[in-house]
Amino acid sequence: MKNLDSVFAAYLIGWGVFFLFYLTIAKRTANVRAELDRLKNSLPRAK
Amino acid sequence: MSLFSNTVVLLNKELRTEFRSRELLTTTVVFILVVLILFSFAISPTSEESREFGPGLLWLAILFAASLMLQPCFLREQSNDTLSSLRLAVSDPFSIFLAKLTANTLFLLVTEILMLPLFAVFYNIPILPQLHYLLLVLFLGSLGISVAGTALSAISAQARMRELLLPLLLLPLLTPVLVVSATVSVSLLDRAPVVQWKGIAFLAVFDLVFLTALWLFGEYLLEE
Amino acid sequence: MIKRIILAALAILLVIASAYASFYIAPTERTMGVIQRIFYFHVASAWAGFTAFFLCFIGNLLYVWKRDQKYDWLGVSGAEVGLAFTTVVLITGPIWAHPVWGIWWTWDARLTSTFVLWLLYVSYLLLRTLVEEPDRRALLSSLFGIFAFIDVPLVFGAIRWWRTQHPQPVIMGGQGSGLDPTMKAVFFFSAFAMHVLMAFLVVERYALEKMQTEADFLAREVEAQ
Repeated sequence: MKNLDSVFAAYLIGWGVFFLFYLTIAKRTANVRAELDRLKNSLPRAK
Repeated sequence: MSLFSNTVVLLNKELRTEFRSRELLTTTVVFILVVLILFSFAISPTSEESREFGPGLLWLAILFAASLMLQPCFLREQSNDTLSSLRLAVSDPFSIFLAKLTANTLFLLVTEILMLPLFAVFYNIPILPQLHYLLLVLFLGSLGISVAGTALSAISAQARMRELLLPLLLLPLLTPVLVVSATVSVSLLDRAPVVQWKGIAFLAVFDLVFLTALWLFGEYLLEE
Repeated sequence: MIKRIILAALAILLVIASAYASFYIAPTERTMGVIQRIFYFHVASAWAGFTAFFLCFIGNLLYVWKRDQKYDWLGVSGAEVGLAFTTVVLITGPIWAHPVWGIWWTWDARLTSTFVLWLLYVSYLLLRTLVEEPDRRALLSSLFGIFAFIDVPLVFGAIRWWRTQHPQPVIMGGQGSGLDPTMKAVFFFSAFAMHVLMAFLVVERYALEKMQTEADFLAREVEAQ
């Protein structure tokens, strides 16, 4: 079972990549949502 | 046929523009020469290794030179906005591309033919026995480089950092041409030369595929 | 919104289930032993990544034809997600290779082609950062995306032919050459799980792009006042 470590490493690193990718999307989405709310609020004020 | 006559006229324009100054040809020739010499400094090949690595290095040099040579292709149309006039002057925008890629292929071929004797001397590889096949490979490879390069040059001309962008877009796209041309050339220049017709056919297919793609999508590349 | 949460849950469940299947249900391979189990993850990721790039291609074609922004959103989502999956392929490949061959990279045909594929779509994304105006960016990247995608079979074909000239170790052994039926089932289940994960990530990335476009539009409106 000596190569089992490598198999685990592969799966964990792979999942890590997907998770990191998802995190960046989620963070940017939160930022944009905040930005969108800010912009929507500033519009009726200007009108 | 309107496409043919338009292309011939535009091709004439491209050739005349270049031969007035010959700057593109001279700089490309010198560049390939410099790259070939630098390669030999970097790897100092013995006579046997030269046969194995030399052709690949030649094609690498051609690729690098081409990605520089193709920069002005559409950039020079931007200075006086000649592109709009070109588009108005022709019925089929594909003729603009045909003219440019024919000119580019010709420039590349001229450069390569000028380089061949020097390449043969520096890398100790006799090229005369297989010259006709070698020219065929050079033609098909250069055509592929020009078709893809002309199309991508139209794209990079409209972006920032265009000097860096064109090689970045072009070189990965041209991996099939590099791989196959180099392999076929190595086989041709081997002590026991073999003509790899599969490889040659592949290059022809590559050229056809991208010519077709350019024909289908060219007009969008020229949109204002 | 609720559909996206269901998709997320489904993706996570399926991925965990496929990992369990890869470790406990699939039999151990005769020649390579345990290390072969990476196959289920590695090849499934490759297939899902490729589907993502295909989605990008569809988006590119539709954008050039219809000029609707949403196709550009599909394009960039497909490209980024495809790149994530392809990155995993390029990482798990060497992890497989090293215990088996003692070297990290073997210029195996499929892995090398995958690397070129990776470079092509990195270039696609780089091109996008270098064009400011949204419609121009969508058009230029769609056109490059189309050229890149039609290049892919040529890349794989050329490199495979090249490798027949200089045979090198093949990373996954003869893939598909006589797979045990249980292994086949586990593999297709893994491939399905990866595709669901890919779908989830594309949906999320698409939603982000849509929101970003709205924000940019609003920002211009606010500036105009």
